[in-house]
Amino acid sequence: MSQLNTLHLRDYPVKPTQVYLYGTCLTDSLFPDSGIDAIEFLEQQGIEVIYPQGQSCCGQPAYNSGYTQQAKAVALAQIKHFPLDIPIVIISGSCGGMMRHHYKDLLKDQPGIEQFCDRIFEFTEFLVNSLQITLVDNGPQERVALHTSCAARREMGVHITGRKLLGQLDNVELITHDYESECCGFGGTFSVKHGDISNAIVADKTKNLVKADVVRYVSADWGCMMNINGSLEHQNKALRGEHIASYLLARSAKGANS
Amino acid sequence: MSVVQVNPADESKYAASARAFRDNVTRDLANDELRSNFRGAMDYLMDKRKSAFNDQDELETLRRQCQLIKQRCLVKLPHLLEQLEAKLTANGIVVHWAETITEANQIIAHLIEAKNGKTVVKGKSMVSEETALNDHLEARGIECLESDMGEYIVQLAKEHPSHIIMPAIHQNKKQVADLFVKNIEGFEHTTDVDALIQQGRNVLRSKFCQADVGVSGVNFAVAETGTLCLVENEGNGRMCTTVPDLHIAITGIEKVVEHLADVPPLLSLLTRSATGQAISTYFNMISHPRQPGEKDGPSEVHLVLLDNGRSQMYADEELRQTLQCIRCGACMNHCPVYTRIGGHAYGTVYPGPIGQIVSPHMLGIEATTNLPTASSLCGACGEVCPVKIPIPKLLLRLREESVKPASQQPQVMKGQGSGRKPLEAFIWSMWATIHKSPFLYRASMWFATRGRWLMPSKIGAWTVARSAPKLASTTLHQRIKQREQAQQSVQGRGK
Amino acid sequence: MSNARSNILAKLKAQVKDSDYDKLPTEQGFEYPQLNRQQQLAQFITHLDNNHAQVIRLARHEIAAVIAQELQQRNITSLMYGDNSEYTHDIEQTDNSIELSKYDFDFSDNKQRLFDHTPAGITGSRCAIAQTGTIVLWPTKDEPRTLSLVPPLHFVIVDAKTLYRSFDELMVKQQWADKLPTNVVLVSGPSKTADIQQTLAYGAHGPKELIVLLLNT
Repeated sequence: MSQLNTLHLRDYPVKPTQVYLYGTCLTDSLFPDSGIDAIEFLEQQGIEVIYPQGQSCCGQPAYNSGYTQQAKAVALAQIKHFPLDIPIVIISGSCGGMMRHHYKDLLKDQPGIEQFCDRIFEFTEFLVNSLQITLVDNGPQERVALHTSCAARREMGVHITGRKLLGQLDNVELITHDYESECCGFGGTFSVKHGDISNAIVADKTKNLVKADVVRYVSADWGCMMNINGSLEHQNKALRGEHIASYLLARSAKGANS
Repeated sequence: MSVVQVNPADESKYAASARAFRDNVTRDLANDELRSNFRGAMDYLMDKRKSAFNDQDELETLRRQCQLIKQRCLVKLPHLLEQLEAKLTANGIVVHWAETITEANQIIAHLIEAKNGKTVVKGKSMVSEETALNDHLEARGIECLESDMGEYIVQLAKEHPSHIIMPAIHQNKKQVADLFVKNIEGFEHTTDVDALIQQGRNVLRSKFCQADVGVSGVNFAVAETGTLCLVENEGNGRMCTTVPDLHIAITGIEKVVEHLADVPPLLSLLTRSATGQAISTYFNMISHPRQPGEKDGPSEVHLVLLDNGRSQMYADEELRQTLQCIRCGACMNHCPVYTRIGGHAYGTVYPGPIGQIVSPHMLGIEATTNLPTASSLCGACGEVCPVKIPIPKLLLRLREESVKPASQQPQVMKGQGSGRKPLEAFIWSMWATIHKSPFLYRASMWFATRGRWLMPSKIGAWTVARSAPKLASTTLHQRIKQREQAQQSVQGRGK
Repeated sequence: MSNARSNILAKLKAQVKDSDYDKLPTEQGFEYPQLNRQQQLAQFITHLDNNHAQVIRLARHEIAAVIAQELQQRNITSLMYGDNSEYTHDIEQTDNSIELSKYDFDFSDNKQRLFDHTPAGITGSRCAIAQTGTIVLWPTKDEPRTLSLVPPLHFVIVDAKTLYRSFDELMVKQQWADKLPTNVVLVSGPSKTADIQQTLAYGAHGPKELIVLLLNT
């Protein structure tokens, strides 16, 4: 028997009626609309969404900078706000990867940590594998590209689930941009610590997205989008990205095609 | 055995070039020709590898198998090294040990001088680059000629390899042609690659014939049989290890494998990961010097085993995974950073992701503080590593070692805390204080959003190439609270 | 006694204990599909073709004629071979237009001869590997290492009956771990390199041409 890469094989709760939402610190302070959109979309699917006010940040910024003790303190402080044994849906693949995988190492002495981590689901992953959602597309015909963050791709399989969701939208033509799986150059503090290298990488990413000749691109990660949109705006390009939660909500709205 | 003089203060020349990382990057990011060369080369190598691994099942099974093979060999390392030494010695191959690069160079120089050797031909050996062997020998009047085509080109250009498999990958054929015209008498300019290769072949062929000594690396050293295995396509490795009467091999202590049977899966993943080949043109297995009655082969064969920071990697169970590396180069081929800055910018012998995790041990954390942070942690490297080294995780670990207080115990690496900046440490301390307290967090976010007009439009490196992000007017926390209150009052009215 | 040796071993030994060996997980290889003899042969030849070796299928009695033909086509009039080897007699049937010379001298005194005046060499082989299109050379006193390395043209005689599925299978069946000779070389094509702008060029340092005389197909 062969040993497949078992990264994405896990048990999914079937159509739960109640979930927590983890918003992430970027959404909280910079892009709160996508948090609201995610909640509205989940509610439309008949799910009650609980947003614990005590949440702040998954701890990844400190963790990635080598400040492990500080990251651990903040990570531990998140857990107690999610006491019910229900899924925690998170609207970022990279924060999702942090909480689903890296917490097992960072907080390995914490009793119950494995069970906590197993309740973490990235938004698109949850829609496709847990809700087994069927999308109705009320939006106009358009060409769209998908950018998946590296962590979302490699830790949460979002390039598959994100693609599946957009594939269900009948009026959306999903265009594959050149070097689609290549990093956008964000990497958190990397973008400021090694700004010149990061700039070189995002310059190529934006070039490839613009070349795809799409009206917008969609992503499950605000970290990447902050980086890519910021670069596009700086280059005076019209193209922008939006969060997949907002996009799906917009496409499902009655009268969206007007 | 003769006594060897060791100078512990001898710092590798690469420490200085590693410290110059930021300047190197500025220089090379601006070099359009270099960037174009690397983009083309990386695309080529990534495609080649992909075509060689069209069965995901097979690939993942072999990766897991090879990871476990290397881990087993590492757990048994001291005993395998003793076994290797015993077998090689019984076979007639002399084994030497070197803790530092200076020691290794001195051992080799001594062996060559004992035979009045004047000319050395070298097969490709990254470990000999690590020790800067050529510089050491040339300072003692011993000519040292690289025979691998890429290494030969790089030597002519007075440069160092920019990739561990294809040393001259940073040059295109026009640049090679110009180089040959400048340095080889009578060479007529042509960018025809066959003609360029023939030129190299002609020059080097006479050198193989005349050389007193051949120096090589080792891909796998088999303890079970006392065998040195070399992987190559050109034939220069066979030349260096067969033609001169003295053959000296040098390698790192982590290259020993336990059984002969460990070799085939490792070899299969090595060649396919490196260049997409099912196997290299030649796989050379050396177990003895020339035996009585044999007509050719070196009468003397030596192996130098080098530590140079490897025992430090070994001492920590997590960092020990660094030693699983079989030097395929796949990590750098897939790295978005390496593709753009090229191999020389790192300033280290080993560039790319593997370079970022070995160099802090070989050169010390202080000289290499910029290396572990020069990564977006995209994970492309870890995904293709044939022996499943968790490179992003090790980069994180090295970042941690770099910023932890220098005196914090246990001390795992030389130069612990070299990257620690008091201001940065303070900021993360404050960040933690705020973010672990729901009240402090929400309060600080309230202030941030209310005062968002104060946010500068230029934020250091970020705004050089991007517009600054804009704080929202209210946070998600606040909007959800308002939303819930609105819903409750609607429900209240509905009663 | 060298300090380096004891220092290095001491550092390493301080980190592991014997009981660590018991905790090692089971290693599992991949189960490759079983190919029949014809499929293995096809695989072997395809790999060699792709790597620019020339494969000639022939019967044993044709060896001399084929050698002569290939050499004449290239305007080569001499060939070096090994004495007392499996195919020595077959090679010696080659007609007089080709000057045959035995490798019956010490290499150290005859380097120039091998490098500059030996356009072609011929050896037998121990066995071959289908999975990668590989020929196993097992040099001996009679067929030295440089015979298959230095002349720009290398003829190698391979018996298809000695074809193994894979390297690991071969190693086990022939019990290589018991004893290996001075040198074993696995050859899978003529010498090549892609070091200049990733462009493949043949004939780097080893033989520019590899002609495989394949028997018993």
